[in-house]
Amino acid sequence: MSDWKKPVRVLVLSLLPLLAPGHLEADRDRKSPPVEPAAGRNDSADSGQFRSPDGLRDFRLIPSQVELRGMSASQSFLVLATDSRGLEVDLTSESRFSLSDDRLAQVEPEGLLTALRDGEVRLRAEVAGRRLEAAVRIEGTRQARPFGFARDVVGVFTRNGCNGSECHGGVKGRGGFKLSLHGINPREDYRWTVKGGVYQVLSPKAAEPFDPRVNLEVPQQSRLLLKPALELPHGGGQRFERDSADYRRLLEWIRQGAPYGDGQSESRIERLEVFPRQAIMEPGTRRRLLVTGFFEEGGSQDLSREVLYESSDPAVIEVGPGGVVRALKPGQARVAVRAAGKLVQVRCGVIRQPLAHYPEVAGRNFIDDLVFDRLRQLHIVPAGLSSDSAFLRRVCLDLTGTLPPPERVREFLADRDPLKRERLIERLLNSPEFVDYWTFRFADFFRVVYRNAYVYKSWIRESLARNKPYDQMARERVAGQGNGGPTRHFIKSISGEVMRPHEKMGEDVRVFLGIRLDCAQCHDHPYETWTQDQFWGITAFYGQLTRIRDLSVFMDDVSGNEEQPEGPKVIHPRRRREVAPSFLDGSLPPSAGINPREELADWMTSPENPYFSQAIVNRVWANFFGKGLVEPVDDFRPGNPASHPELLRALARDFRLGGYDLRHLMRAIARSGTYQLSGDLNPTNREDEVNHSRALPRRLEAEILLDAISRVTGMEEAFAVHEYVGGGTEPRGTRAIELTPEVTPSQFLEVYGRPVSRDSMPWRDYRSTLRQALHLLVGSTYTTKIAAEGGRVSRLLSAGASDREIVRELYLAALSRFPTAEEETRLQALIEGAPSRRKGVENLAWGLLASRQFTYNH
Amino acid sequence: MNGYADQLACCRPRREFLRVGALSLLGLNLRQYLALEAATPAAARSKQKAQACILLWLEGGPSQIDTWDPKPHSRFNAIPTRADGIRISEIFPRIAGHMDKLAIVRSMHTEENNHPQGTHYALTGHRPNPALKFPSLGSIISRELGPRNNLPPYIMVPEHQETDFFSYMDAYTSAFLGSEYDPIILPDPNREAFQIPDLSLPDTLTAADIADRRSFLQAVDRGFRQKEKHAEFGRMDRFTNQALTMLLSPRVKQAFDLSQESDRTKEAYGRTRVGQSVLLARRLVEAGCRFVTTSGYAHGAWDTHKDNDQRLRDKLAPTLDQTLSVLLEDLQQRGLLDSTVVLAMGEFGRTPHLNANNGRDHYPDCWSLILGGGGIQGGRVVGASDDQGAQVAERRVTMGDLFATIYKAMGIDWTKEYVNPGGRPLYIANSIDDVMGQPLHELV
Repeated sequence: MSDWKKPVRVLVLSLLPLLAPGHLEADRDRKSPPVEPAAGRNDSADSGQFRSPDGLRDFRLIPSQVELRGMSASQSFLVLATDSRGLEVDLTSESRFSLSDDRLAQVEPEGLLTALRDGEVRLRAEVAGRRLEAAVRIEGTRQARPFGFARDVVGVFTRNGCNGSECHGGVKGRGGFKLSLHGINPREDYRWTVKGGVYQVLSPKAAEPFDPRVNLEVPQQSRLLLKPALELPHGGGQRFERDSADYRRLLEWIRQGAPYGDGQSESRIERLEVFPRQAIMEPGTRRRLLVTGFFEEGGSQDLSREVLYESSDPAVIEVGPGGVVRALKPGQARVAVRAAGKLVQVRCGVIRQPLAHYPEVAGRNFIDDLVFDRLRQLHIVPAGLSSDSAFLRRVCLDLTGTLPPPERVREFLADRDPLKRERLIERLLNSPEFVDYWTFRFADFFRVVYRNAYVYKSWIRESLARNKPYDQMARERVAGQGNGGPTRHFIKSISGEVMRPHEKMGEDVRVFLGIRLDCAQCHDHPYETWTQDQFWGITAFYGQLTRIRDLSVFMDDVSGNEEQPEGPKVIHPRRRREVAPSFLDGSLPPSAGINPREELADWMTSPENPYFSQAIVNRVWANFFGKGLVEPVDDFRPGNPASHPELLRALARDFRLGGYDLRHLMRAIARSGTYQLSGDLNPTNREDEVNHSRALPRRLEAEILLDAISRVTGMEEAFAVHEYVGGGTEPRGTRAIELTPEVTPSQFLEVYGRPVSRDSMPWRDYRSTLRQALHLLVGSTYTTKIAAEGGRVSRLLSAGASDREIVRELYLAALSRFPTAEEETRLQALIEGAPSRRKGVENLAWGLLASRQFTYNH
Repeated sequence: MNGYADQLACCRPRREFLRVGALSLLGLNLRQYLALEAATPAAARSKQKAQACILLWLEGGPSQIDTWDPKPHSRFNAIPTRADGIRISEIFPRIAGHMDKLAIVRSMHTEENNHPQGTHYALTGHRPNPALKFPSLGSIISRELGPRNNLPPYIMVPEHQETDFFSYMDAYTSAFLGSEYDPIILPDPNREAFQIPDLSLPDTLTAADIADRRSFLQAVDRGFRQKEKHAEFGRMDRFTNQALTMLLSPRVKQAFDLSQESDRTKEAYGRTRVGQSVLLARRLVEAGCRFVTTSGYAHGAWDTHKDNDQRLRDKLAPTLDQTLSVLLEDLQQRGLLDSTVVLAMGEFGRTPHLNANNGRDHYPDCWSLILGGGGIQGGRVVGASDDQGAQVAERRVTMGDLFATIYKAMGIDWTKEYVNPGGRPLYIANSIDDVMGQPLHELV
């Protein structure tokens, strides 16, 4: 069922010779690929790309059949082929189009077909000596499509970017003119446009002044026309020219009295589809997107010329009106396609240079299948397998937050068992350090604070030690009542108050679904489709959240032992009405149970809820790779898609089928070839930072770093306890990852960015700072520990170790590897040149601890 | 998990792509930036503009009717001041003598009613939000003006004493602007063994040792650094160079060295946490800091829910009266008053009527603050409260207006917007309902 149970396929090492830098460099230096000598290019700048027929195959005309309905209905067609290297190329501009019957339709050179009369007609495209055909059925050309404000006017707004989140679609609009984001609410847009008024965050009523954007008496003088045509100053600049098609469309609408149109027969777009969903291109090439809208009442229409296109990285991918995508330089970008409040995305990869021979890269499990497949499509060759020492250090840090001691490193490097990595992973998964480390991690995920730390952290620790299924952990936390461990997250860090229902809801939705709803508290979400109604609907599940006795029972007690106090009611701030619980998808809980949060917990953890498993596998993934597949890890939304959506779904599915077993998930990740790649560069992966083509360095967290320094120097850190909670010190041997941040002041941890503000979800700051640099140079953590009597340095010296032995021992302790011969020679020479031997060895220890290799996991 | 700083490029003024002053966007490192700054005649950039700002942070929120907006129902009398027609509470006799240098705003109107949120609001111009981080005034000024003379641009002295500080931290940080604009937080300078951590070489370490250590580091990391071109590595290199300059530069060290002040000066400021912090602030500003937040009052000292009058009369007012007056005199004597904005405020005001404990409670609707120096017109009053000191009667002033005033005094474009990593635009002078603040034209 799940891949890890199968015998592990060994990563094919034979690909390594292929990856020798010389091989690829040589390939790159050739002016034209030797395999396809006939492949040539048309160098004229505007013609895009053209290849002679020899290298091309799989010619196709898309769509191959279509039905058009209504007067002047139109459809764009694409001519595509696959070149010898497997890249899809767009030949639409090079194709000659013709029709079997010119009376029924007309076709333009770029493949745009417009219906004239009812009937069936065949479209022919000729390119490179091939002839392709598509069947077109035309109906209802005698009926003009009824006018609809949503489609005809709001479409103009969307296409021109007027209702984007940085313009009038922003929370409060712009320049006093508000539109719904990407046209999601045409009724409101109609009101703002025709009646005017100023949007108010906390009231459904519009405020003065009410000045319409249309002028029915002198239509040309409407601000709706003057501003975007820049005949009046406009903060958004010129959106269209006077007398352009969009200008005329708006003008005609105003001339007809600015009607809303027939709302009944109005066609609402239910979903958008774009072709292709993914485009792999070479720099300098172009291709066209095809966007189809599907209507609620059935039927579809080509919207390629009606929608808004936005590139996530215009330096990589540029999109012109009408959906012409141009690849500029190697990299990744997404094209967002928006219409009628709907969004679809195209993933674009611009490759540096297609590889004529992509080497065989075998995967070990389903993770690799998906990651390596994507790399192959992008013509990026992954790095080879990491060395044993690199793997050892990496996996020890990622599974246990702890560096392996020198003797373990020696042992592992000397082990000849081909399955030693798998054995190591099992050993780490079952170690006490694993439980310590993941308790620390979950203290971040689940917001452990001083006021709740004791019982709450014990509950987390015990859940992890027992390997409690994650969905059960989630249910216990979301539905928790009474006085037990999992209810303590309802407590605020500083004041000890119970969080307000909407705060608690916002946190649970972030933690368990990876969604940031917080913006929708005050207004509909500015970038996404979360509305204020959804926010308050789900908040209502927490309406009974209350503290019924001071300090002894924190939560609503539904056991009947206590008089049930009436919890705070949840009131919608704009509608000023009490809100009944409803789930984010708008559905209602099956029954009004005594504890509505139980129903919420069931809904959240249900296998049908796609967010639940994805949110946690994404967080766990981020632990192993430094970045989530969705990043930030708690910001799942259509506008922020996963880097590898199929992988995210596959991991979530595997996690679900594996019984929500966190160790099972981590095992699959740690065993994957993707995780075990080296950090080595080759000409194809040099610029890649998102496709997992090599291991990237990640800075150790403050706590992990401090524990590592203590281990390498052999000097434990003594942690003080704040006077506020009685003072004194933590017991000897306490590790930084075991601390409760608010009550254990530590200069080192603060300088390196521990999360301390814990009334909201803790976030960690990995940025370098001046204070870190100062502390590294002269701070006590480094200077004192290195020089301390009884520490590793002094022990090595008094044991009479040679310089060479000392260099090796310190390397093993800090970097989990032996020094290279060059390093060994150089460092021994430096020790000899030092003012004293002791000073030399101390300085070596400092050099190791200060190194990026030490400070980062890589 | 990473990624926060990677999105820094989002932080740009809208519609002003070419006018950014940010180091990172210009692709300059600090040294290049400083060289550039040195090459630009200081006068060309900012003649007669304030170079620095000192915030006297009255943590807890002082009572407006007992300080700068005296009312008949205050237990304190109003006294005339050096500025014609301006009267303040009798508990500030020395400040009264400096009112020609200071302006009073009597119509501050803000939106948060509790300390952590109020502090966040007063120091960032935004209500706290679990989904968003906002840069503080000190961080914004540091970023817009950049560092001077190798000094960290933004310093806070002293650190808070209580653990509660953690819930306030968001009010002081650079948020998405970059860690170089976070405050450097210093310990209590009034302590016997006052020493800035990590700002001087320990006895066991010489400059030569550091050089020696760095050659070990280079030998260890050479191979790795050749392979990895992580952006953060380069940033850390720059900070390391800056740190070395600071550690080895006598000028930087002296800026923090209070022992260089005479006993007379120390006495004049007062041998208290507050007094010595304000004195240190003056030294730092003189040496090149852009923004210093000084406090030093006990946690919640101005939070007079109980015994308001007594606490003001016996403790709080005398301390503020002394330190602010001496600071103004000292700055003037050193020719720094025209280039240094001085601002004294808390996170809100207090209820105009006494509660059952003879105290006053939190009150953001209408309150007062004072500011001066840095070219800000002294001897003026902006706005007015009603008879009770309860509501704004004239010219509501918001935090955004106050920020805009300070920016204008410092030659910063107050109309600027940043865009946070999530794409949300933020005015650097943010007023109620996310509109742009306006400078107080009476003052700048």
